[in-house]
Amino acid sequence: MKTLKDMLADARQVVPEEGPAEVARRLAAGEKVVVIDVRDPDEYRDGHLEAATNISRGFLEFRVGSAVSDASTPVVLYCQTGLRSMLAAKALKDLGYSNVVNLQGGYQKWVQSGMPVIREVPMTQDQIQRYSRHFLLPQVGDKGQKKLLRSKVLLIGAGGLGSPTAFYLAAAGVGTLGLMDGDTVDITNLQRQILHTTADIGKPKVESGTRTLKALNPDVDVISLPTRITVDNVMDVIKDYDLIVDGSDNFETRYLVNDACFLAGKTNVHGSIFQFEGMATVFAPNQGPCYRCLYPTPPPPGLVPS
Amino acid sequence: MLPGVVGTIQATEAVKLLLGIGEPLIGRLLTYDALGMRFREVRLRRDPKCPLCGTAPTITDLAVHRNGAGGACDVSPDGHPEGVAAAVAPKAGG
Repeated sequence: MKTLKDMLADARQVVPEEGPAEVARRLAAGEKVVVIDVRDPDEYRDGHLEAATNISRGFLEFRVGSAVSDASTPVVLYCQTGLRSMLAAKALKDLGYSNVVNLQGGYQKWVQSGMPVIREVPMTQDQIQRYSRHFLLPQVGDKGQKKLLRSKVLLIGAGGLGSPTAFYLAAAGVGTLGLMDGDTVDITNLQRQILHTTADIGKPKVESGTRTLKALNPDVDVISLPTRITVDNVMDVIKDYDLIVDGSDNFETRYLVNDACFLAGKTNVHGSIFQFEGMATVFAPNQGPCYRCLYPTPPPPGLVPS
Repeated sequence: MLPGVVGTIQATEAVKLLLGIGEPLIGRLLTYDALGMRFREVRLRRDPKCPLCGTAPTITDLAVHRNGAGGACDVSPDGHPEGVAAAVAPKAGG
């Protein structure tokens, strides 16, 4: 009769192992890896890798098809210490999944290595109702909504572009919105800057913006930053956010945000408008061009309205 | 109304990026002409000579923003290939 030790040794012959650093690197590089947590649901809820889908060991062969569409898709399996998932990975190999690795040391080693984990926070009844239409979208679902609730987006400018962006991100349940703007509300803003109302004239835009966003969705933590973005504060401000949305109204700020985001490795969702024309693009460091690739030099002063 | 269209596109892109779904506007510039009511897409390529993200970057920190030069780098425009900048004028407003 085979012992457990023999079975693990057999599995190790065919299943390669990767440590936390290597798996983290692959995920950070945007590799389309399917990460499966084969522990029981209560273990998963107590903490898991952000990218992980939970399929308990007992159901793995039955449900793996729903998580991994193609037998050659890269798959990483893990359990608590790396033993259960080693046997599970062997089972997937036997089913014909060719690109399966085991997370060496499991969840325990991942945590000890200081890697980030997610703890499942159950949604309230209000949240389940508020986001019910998102749950119907297979690309969002319960998992996506929780991800949005954990996400942090910085909005540079609470004006014409920042207003609708912030409105929709708050409605969608993006958990933390940084609202950065050093201006106060002026009556001339109101024909387009929809976060602010007539009663807000003279108040800081971040104040009226925060009130409007909280009224729409109290789930959202609005961080009010009543200052202009400058070379001295930009790195410190952006470091706390997953994503930066540039809704600024001048070239100086755009070059500054572009450079800071590139240097900090942050993706910058860019938008700008002039009269009846607008444009939008995404600057993702090292995945595509930056604002300077597009506009190596600022436009001549004549093009810039005061 | 125009900023609403562009800002809503930015919000959509933000959510897609946060969730890792769909095709983000990386390397694509979407332009919107409200009077003609037309969207256009311009492919963007990385500029190997870009002073920030090119192969031999000259901007490695934010010092260029401290000299009061409007934040722009002081490179000669002929150092760059004809970009889309000529075809798509930069937009001033926000």
